Amino acid sequence: MKLLLVEDDRELRRTLADAMAVEGYEVLTAASLSEGMALARHADVDLVVLDLGLPDGDGEALLDALRHRQGTPVLVISARQAEGQKIRLLDAGADDYLVKPFSVGELLARLRVALRHRGTSVHAAVTRYAQGGLEVDLEAHRVALHGEPVHLTPTEFRLLARLVRSAGRVVTHRQLLADVWGPEFTEHTHYLRLYMGQLRAKLEADPTEPQRLLTEPGVGYRLVDTD
Amino acid sequence: MKINPRRGALALLAWASAWTAMLAVDGHVDLANLAMLLVLGSTVAALWLPAPVSMAAAAVQVLAFNWVFVPPRGTFSIDLRQHALLLGALLAVNLLVAALMGRLRVQADRARHHARLADQLRTFGEALRDTGDPLARAPMLREALSDLAQAPVTLLLLRAGVPATDDADAALCLGEADADTLAGLWLALRQSTALGPGTGRHDELGAWILPMRTRQGSLGAACVPVDRDRPDDALRAHAQALCDQMGQALQRALAARQEREAREQAQAQGVRNALLAAISHDHRTPLATILGAASSLHDQGERLAPEQRRRLAATIVDEAGQLARLTDNTLQLARLDAPGVQLQLDWESAEEIVGSALRRARLRDPQRRVRARLEPGLPLLRCDALLLSQLLDNLIDNALKYSPAEAPVEILVRQQGAAVVIAVRDRGPGVPPAQRERVFEVFQRGSDAGQRRGAGVGLAVCRAIARAHGGELRLRPRGHGGSSFECVLPTVEPPPAPGEEPGP
Repeated sequence: MKLLLVEDDRELRRTLADAMAVEGYEVLTAASLSEGMALARHADVDLVVLDLGLPDGDGEALLDALRHRQGTPVLVISARQAEGQKIRLLDAGADDYLVKPFSVGELLARLRVALRHRGTSVHAAVTRYAQGGLEVDLEAHRVALHGEPVHLTPTEFRLLARLVRSAGRVVTHRQLLADVWGPEFTEHTHYLRLYMGQLRAKLEADPTEPQRLLTEPGVGYRLVDTD
Repeated sequence: MKINPRRGALALLAWASAWTAMLAVDGHVDLANLAMLLVLGSTVAALWLPAPVSMAAAAVQVLAFNWVFVPPRGTFSIDLRQHALLLGALLAVNLLVAALMGRLRVQADRARHHARLADQLRTFGEALRDTGDPLARAPMLREALSDLAQAPVTLLLLRAGVPATDDADAALCLGEADADTLAGLWLALRQSTALGPGTGRHDELGAWILPMRTRQGSLGAACVPVDRDRPDDALRAHAQALCDQMGQALQRALAARQEREAREQAQAQGVRNALLAAISHDHRTPLATILGAASSLHDQGERLAPEQRRRLAATIVDEAGQLARLTDNTLQLARLDAPGVQLQLDWESAEEIVGSALRRARLRDPQRRVRARLEPGLPLLRCDALLLSQLLDNLIDNALKYSPAEAPVEILVRQQGAAVVIAVRDRGPGVPPAQRERVFEVFQRGSDAGQRRGAGVGLAVCRAIARAHGGELRLRPRGHGGSSFECVLPTVEPPPAPGEEPGP
């Protein structure tokens, strides 16, 4: 596996590169947007870890370039100030994000999820999910919890299906609303609150402390996918 | 000399009536009585005419009287000595009356004019007093001055203090101004002196350029066109008075603005100082721990037992997390303190926000002391999810930190009228009454919390977040010991729920 790390801070770059190398990844590093662009174009990388604030431009440009040419997953790492930008990047196709400061453990977990989903836009999409007693078979339209079938309304099912297809990754409010209700509903966040509440009531042991359907405040939702 | 047509007509009517009466009674009364009618007619006519006109008219009428009535009739000659006396007296009385009436009228006109000017000054003064922004009254001043000068006036008014250069952006210019006029306006403004005819400075100008004076210097100037050969000093004094009123109003507004700015700056300075104090204290402690642990690993790594190394590394991770939260709080407080802060408002579910806070809290709460209880059927909240999450994180952190290691921490969410109350309750030592407001101030902690750390800005941020949402954060003591931090958030009418479930 070949990873490209684009990060301008020297210390953080070295720390993260070392940590990824220890896990057996081959790591290319870039300290600027132009360097990152060149490496992404010529080296055949499997995943890009992208910092947003780069000395010669915005990481967003690299994301655009990657989205237009190939399906390489992109993991965004950003400072908290770039909240709005983060959501925009997720909507624009970034696979996940981490807010600085983050732990190496978190980064590696997100890396594994993103790599697992690599190429799903090209190849057959995820159609099955089984985790912690919850089993979802999208093709058979079947949901079971600890072996017991669970009845979901059509909207609940579509919402769950959308999360299953991106299991482990955060899906923004906007993406969920557009894919489940339609592009004209992207501002109707309150629909999501209602249906997520219903889904949790059916699928979580304690809906006040969800273990499967996680909230990313201000951003979206994530279906847990531990490995 | 202009004669008002209506007044002229009235005067003519008075003369015509007098002459009709004289011709009608001619032959029945003697000459002296006829002369009385003429005096009466002229006196009445003088009420409406300027003095020179009525005096000339009186002379003509005395001649005509001589021609028509004084024997020998049809000639200007006078045959009797007493008739000459009569005519002489008649002429003198007519002229005198005309002159007196004229002077009276001039005085009345002047009084009216003065009253009008005084009225103008007063009205303008009141208009200036009623406004916080004197510039908004500049068109009124321009109208008043244009009215006085009977020509369009140009004004130049400074928006703030006197700029270093004649910067067009620093001033509001009302009316047409060519480069020369502008230069003149700036000159009068900077030197605080009037220019133009009768001022002794630049008498050759076709206009007065009057500064809008304040106690020190000027804050504007007006260019008032004037007849170069006959400058009216009284008019200039009046125009200057109007300009000075504006100058003083500009000065007052400027002083008020400067005072406000100074106050805001002092306030910002105060917050900054408090933040700096918080940073220098609260941030140093975890930094010291991190530096100690890291340098120990670095310098003694080989000689440490694996268990010791692991513990040092864990300390670094914990303290760095603490430092990150502190930094978030400090930055958030600074952000919320700035004017015009923008919240990312959306419809949020209290259950979700509490749920995600609980999940984060578990990392610092391995014994699962934190429990959440939410009333069913809570309305959606209109809030900034990230801010509210930060508020909950801080309150939970605080409760965990300031209560005994095994005591439970409860999150309780309930509806209360048109508000949702999110309470975080602990069984700690509680906060003494005198401290209950002070804990929300930047860099305050419970008095006996000497060796515990970290809430320096935490509660201040929480309160700032609650208030930014139009809500409040309060501290209530609990019945059997401990504190309840209660965030009250007003609820908003929720949007309509989704309609019928669409088909599969």
